[in-house]
Amino acid sequence: MSQKFENLSAFVDGENSQFDLQGNEVITAMKNDKQLMQKWHSYHVIRYGMRKELPAQMQFDIAAKVALALESEPAILAPKKSWRNIPVLGSVVPFVKQGGQFAIAASVAVAMIIGVQQFNQNSAEQPFNSAAPILGIPGGLSPVSFEQTHSVPQNDIVEQRRRINAFIADHQQQMRLKSVQLSNTPNLVEQPEKNDLQPENLNDTP
Amino acid sequence: MICSLKTLTTHLNLMAVPKSVVLLTLLFMPHLGFSQENQSDSVQPEYAVSSYPSDSAEAWLSKMAIAVKSLNYSISLVVLKPGVDSQPYLWRHGIDENGVEMEQLNLLNGPGREVVRIGHKVSYFEPNVPPYSLQSNTVNGPFPNVLLYQPESLFESYEFVLVGRSRISGRAAQQIRVISKDKSRFGLNLWLDQESGLVLKMNLVNLEGQPLEQIQVTAIEITEKPDAFFARIEQAMLPDVLVLRSQTETPVRWQVNYLPKGMYVAKQDVHRLPMTGELVDYILLSDGLVNVSIYLQPLPNAKASQDLIGRHESNTILTRQMGDVSATVVGKIPAVTADAILKSIQFVQ
Repeated sequence: MSQKFENLSAFVDGENSQFDLQGNEVITAMKNDKQLMQKWHSYHVIRYGMRKELPAQMQFDIAAKVALALESEPAILAPKKSWRNIPVLGSVVPFVKQGGQFAIAASVAVAMIIGVQQFNQNSAEQPFNSAAPILGIPGGLSPVSFEQTHSVPQNDIVEQRRRINAFIADHQQQMRLKSVQLSNTPNLVEQPEKNDLQPENLNDTP
Repeated sequence: MICSLKTLTTHLNLMAVPKSVVLLTLLFMPHLGFSQENQSDSVQPEYAVSSYPSDSAEAWLSKMAIAVKSLNYSISLVVLKPGVDSQPYLWRHGIDENGVEMEQLNLLNGPGREVVRIGHKVSYFEPNVPPYSLQSNTVNGPFPNVLLYQPESLFESYEFVLVGRSRISGRAAQQIRVISKDKSRFGLNLWLDQESGLVLKMNLVNLEGQPLEQIQVTAIEITEKPDAFFARIEQAMLPDVLVLRSQTETPVRWQVNYLPKGMYVAKQDVHRLPMTGELVDYILLSDGLVNVSIYLQPLPNAKASQDLIGRHESNTILTRQMGDVSATVVGKIPAVTADAILKSIQFVQ
């Protein structure tokens, strides 16, 4: 029993010496063993917790939830006649019918995908789409381009853009001045008293 | 020789031998910066090394802070920001025979921009602007100055987690994750050179861990003597130091009730925007790592539709209409935090 977990632990840590040979065995063993699957999950959660990589919102046990959701599907499998008459949804039903058979296989697949996705996250080293080069003074006050995610009435846009660009340019200028001023007048900067007022939405992250 | 000493040190650490022995062995390792002319300063490293457990993130940052100030090095690095072309820099640092720090930062693409620091005098050479000098101890480079020189001042508001080792720029590196304790600001991933402690890579990551900005060192050279470049500088030829007008006291009209842990009001004034000439009330918040600008402007006729949130490079920009005042936050912080700060602003008089 403990040998089983040890193998899994080594596999998760990438410390398995004959990775290809034993790795396959571990995966096969895991697919057939619910206990091992659970361990696989908790090993990863522990690992990310220790490395402070846990996401702000955690959904434990997605696999179980998916399996549960699929099990409770039969309610939809026997819908009322009127429901079937809706053309789009009607065509969906036969597909859902097959769900039950896949429930177990799906839960295994989901668990594996979670593991693999988290594994791969670290190697996403190229976050930026190739940026179009901007002409002008690099490093200095670069020309401001502002990407807007909220639509405003057409006639306000120009005015608003002008103001936002002015703010951005000023912010950049303030950044450049800051290091000089702070090092010149260290006494002016006072550490504030501790602030107890915290917004609630920031506090309930794990 | 060095290798055997290294293994010796590890063994000593394992056996928890008194630190003085470890330090003694460290003194023989030239790459830690205890070169002969620095021996009078060796009290400081001793303090820094011994004040934290030897294998903690804090100890690594202390090592970095010492290395940045005391080593002779020449570093090539590339800065990547979303929406902007990559910016390659050359960064050199040296200590002359009198113990004066010399530093050079050179932007290698385009017309260039060069900053040279000799002691407390920082000279700027930029296109379209006559060269000038300022009185400062630091060059405003791609890395946050507080992180480089006073990392210990961040320990209160950020958590530093030792993650593990990896290979960066062809060197063994120690990875450190920097997370704001109240999860209100973006995090950093730092990779420090295992041998010297210098920074090899820095990622600014959002709360989901996705990278926003990257600084990647591509080449690093640590030498015994300062680079020949510094010998060529004629110090008398550097531009004169500009004397900045001292800021006039302005009455405090606004109060920010919510500040993320470790943030303080660094500056508060009334000034004109450079582009539009409009007069704004300005508040600068800072925690050393992140700077946030707040602009307040009376705008009685604005509609509610002018509330907007956007992104410029990795800055979040949030504008909100609050009564007769339009308030805007600009800074590298999550939108949630920007909103919390804005909502907490209060008019006092």
